[in-house]
Amino acid sequence: MTEFWGYVRPDGSAGARNHVLILSGTVYANKVCDKVAGLVHGAVAITHPLGRCQVRPDLRMTRLFLSNTGINPNVGAVVVIDHFREEGATAEDIAHDIQQASGKPVAVVNIRESGGMIAALEQGVRYAADFARALSDLRREPVPLSRLLFGTECGTSDTTSGLASNPATGICADRIIAEGGRAILAECTEWMGCEEWLTSRAATPEIAQQIIAGVQHMEQRALASGEDIRGSQPTGDNMVGGLTTIEEKSMGAVKKGGSAPVVGYLEIAERPASTEPGLYVMYGPGHGAESISSMAAAGCQVLVFSTGGGHTASHPIMPTIKVTGNARSFELMRDTVELDVSGVLRGELTLEEAGRMIFDEVVAVASGRLTKSEALRDDNSFAIHRVGISI
Amino acid sequence: MKKVFVVEKEDNVGTAVGEAIRAGETVGTEGRVTDVTVVARADIAYGHKIALRPIARGEQVIKYGLSIGTATQDILPGDHVHVHNVESNRGRGDRAAAQAQKGAEQP
Repeated sequence: MTEFWGYVRPDGSAGARNHVLILSGTVYANKVCDKVAGLVHGAVAITHPLGRCQVRPDLRMTRLFLSNTGINPNVGAVVVIDHFREEGATAEDIAHDIQQASGKPVAVVNIRESGGMIAALEQGVRYAADFARALSDLRREPVPLSRLLFGTECGTSDTTSGLASNPATGICADRIIAEGGRAILAECTEWMGCEEWLTSRAATPEIAQQIIAGVQHMEQRALASGEDIRGSQPTGDNMVGGLTTIEEKSMGAVKKGGSAPVVGYLEIAERPASTEPGLYVMYGPGHGAESISSMAAAGCQVLVFSTGGGHTASHPIMPTIKVTGNARSFELMRDTVELDVSGVLRGELTLEEAGRMIFDEVVAVASGRLTKSEALRDDNSFAIHRVGISI
Repeated sequence: MKKVFVVEKEDNVGTAVGEAIRAGETVGTEGRVTDVTVVARADIAYGHKIALRPIARGEQVIKYGLSIGTATQDILPGDHVHVHNVESNRGRGDRAAAQAQKGAEQP
């Protein structure tokens, strides 16, 4: 059985990274978070434009995303920074959630209570530096793949995605699951047209129902905002490109989740309650940064991002491996794309070999190898899903 | 010989992923099926599909080992397989929307 070298956390989970996370509670604390992270070794900031004047379902969503990201095993300790204590998703709420669920060290900095911006910066740096030193005592140890939660995503897709990089990513997902691990397939807008393939693999009738309901729910939300996402599928451009039906388009996307039984349905950013090996499907949009962030919140330690045109997507705390089946895209985007599986389409590489390449990269990255985006500190993909309007 | 890519061995279509294929050219296969040759009966552009076997009207068009739609006419090996001879099993979204619109307008 394959093992990876992980940081074992107080709750038994295993991290692929050992970050000190500087987590912003509100848009107004973002810059302080960036400054703290810039001054402390191994610290990474997560910032966002939300946390105030949101409707209740959105405040709950913001809290869920932030708390669950802090709980992710790639995070060793957290400093949550807020500018003022208000009702909703406060720094205290978020810190409480993280501590309760994971037992990891968490500190709160309130800009107002600490005496202003400069004092808050000092306090945040001190907490973060102390955490960084404490975490540096941790050593990686071999852990089985059964402790890996693997995320899959595709974006900037082209003809090569459905034929090469997505099926190869699916083979990698199947292998991880065969070794006792779990994988997540999100982006439920892309299940539209191949719901039956997913429901036929559902472990229970309830999961099958949830899959159908999830797609319908997303479709209704889009319709309510005046957007018919089914009516135009496949799009005119898709047809010019050779895609004939919505089934064909969706299967090309859903292939990245592999072919294993679907053992769980997750709401967006929900942490799976079960450790049962298999594929977990997650409700959520195709929006790359939101989708990646929802899987990091679910606890994914590593994600493979399959791309046709090439991509820069990279989550701040979840290494994001990019794979393309388009040789030209690899040339153009080689600074941030790890793997070129275009040999599949030239007959130089079988899909199985491409799947193994991806699997080997996932295990190496889970064990500490930096992704290209990490090496460049290009962590650009954190976004919180929104339900309603700002108020 | 130019080749088309076949994802699963059950597939009855292949996808052009190299140079565009001209009508009359002999085409081989790459991927999970490597032993089929057909003569293209139409030009097949990059990303478009070609039939590898006869697909009778009403039969399923298989790609990814799964049905991507139903043949609306008899398709011969080497034919271009696209919206002119395949219909989605899910219905066409634009038609479903038109139908829903009609339903909504009824009192």
